[in-house]
Amino acid sequence: MTIKRITFLQELLAFIGLEGRLHLSWISSAEAGKFVNVINEFTEKIRSMGPNPLKGYDLRPWLHTIDPAGDLGKNNQRLVPHEDLETV
Amino acid sequence: MDCKLIPSVCSYCGTGCGILFEVIDGALVSTLPLKTHPVNQGKLCIKGWNLHEHINSYMRLKAPLVRENGKLRKTSWDEAISKSAEAFSRTVALYGPDSVGVLVSAKITNEENYLAQKFTRAVIGTNNIDHCARL
Amino acid sequence: MESAKTVKQWLETGVVDIFLGYRLVEGHPVPHGYTRENLTEVEEMVTPEARYSLEKLATHLSSRHPEAKIGMFARDCSRRALNVLVIWNQLQGENIKTIDLNCCPSPLKKHAECSYLEPEEPGSYKLLGGIAKNAEIKETEARGQDERLSRWMYEMQKCIKCYGCRNICPVCFCRECSLEHPELVNPGRLPPEVPIFHLVHATHMAGRCVDCGLCEEACPMDIPLRLLYRKVNQIVSDVFDYDTGTSQEQSPFSVLGEKVTLTPKTLETS
Repeated sequence: MTIKRITFLQELLAFIGLEGRLHLSWISSAEAGKFVNVINEFTEKIRSMGPNPLKGYDLRPWLHTIDPAGDLGKNNQRLVPHEDLETV
Repeated sequence: MDCKLIPSVCSYCGTGCGILFEVIDGALVSTLPLKTHPVNQGKLCIKGWNLHEHINSYMRLKAPLVRENGKLRKTSWDEAISKSAEAFSRTVALYGPDSVGVLVSAKITNEENYLAQKFTRAVIGTNNIDHCARL
Repeated sequence: MESAKTVKQWLETGVVDIFLGYRLVEGHPVPHGYTRENLTEVEEMVTPEARYSLEKLATHLSSRHPEAKIGMFARDCSRRALNVLVIWNQLQGENIKTIDLNCCPSPLKKHAECSYLEPEEPGSYKLLGGIAKNAEIKETEARGQDERLSRWMYEMQKCIKCYGCRNICPVCFCRECSLEHPELVNPGRLPPEVPIFHLVHATHMAGRCVDCGLCEEACPMDIPLRLLYRKVNQIVSDVFDYDTGTSQEQSPFSVLGEKVTLTPKTLETS
């Protein structure tokens, strides 16, 4: 079941544009060497791909049409006023 | 066993999207958009999709309540209205008419909104009246 | 109407207990349940010019009256949805009778009332930064990874979390939806956690989506949902050999413990 879900998810993420960031490997708790190798290789691969493209993504590009100078988005303030409240 | 879909208009904001209420065996089950309605063309916002919950909510008031010693108890309409009138007169006498503010809403009819503003301006004597759509 | 006679006969002879058809209310075609007690109403039945999800009404009725026999008008996509609902135990197959409508285009009827077959012209900004509603999968896959991500984010961040796509989906029936879980989706904040929000729904629809297009019609922000779900269906049919809607077997995601021939991909360090 895991392999089915992971394969499906890998294909779906490739369609969205986040290819290659998900990997599946079955390692028994006795195979410590294999574990180390897989982790190192995967870390190398991710490093070479660059940081997560969604990190710090500006979720409001429509702002550029009404505020090209960026005055409203200064200091990363959100336009939603209840940003600081715990409940809405 | 009965299944009817009754067209209506959303009671929240001023847009007035077309709604279908799904009524199964006389009980309101869910809300659907009216696809051929010219205003919304089959699309709704989250408030419109959940109209049925608001109608059947356990939090709806079913009788006038008055607060005594910090607890709410059921009362009659006469007592509720006279108590509110007393409270209003007391506030206006103590602090002046501008201490009272009135907020009306898009959920009540235009006639009730008119009545509210007449009450605020003529009876209480203040201009402090506003509408939920301005917030 | 021709089918009015069939419906009357079915109700009278007890083939169905309730028939879900349409009636006109002030010019709008609205679904209505015709019963034996109100046989005269059947005269007013009309052909539907708007697409509503009668299968969802049938599931609501069936959960309250499990033994009821339900009849309805069924388009091509409705028949697929009914198939899926029967496989997922939401409806009993022997309690459903359908009058088939030909809604998808055929040699006799070119135009049909379907959101996909009557595409509107996408505007210039949408073509510049986003994805058009009637885009093909191959066309989208011809783009590079960065461009794909940027275009999908442009579309998905318009989401206003109306839950319309989930509410109107005929095969969506979970009582506790993950999209409403307060730990997974922050309540009261917009936009929702994109692209996770739409990808979660797409993953839950794997093995269930029948490509009826009602979700795209219900989206107020014109997000090209149908393209996403068609890709999901393509993955399910390519990798698992399962045709949602026409296959009679259980979905590959609901069967545990069977032998699979898939192998995990190897790590290529480029």
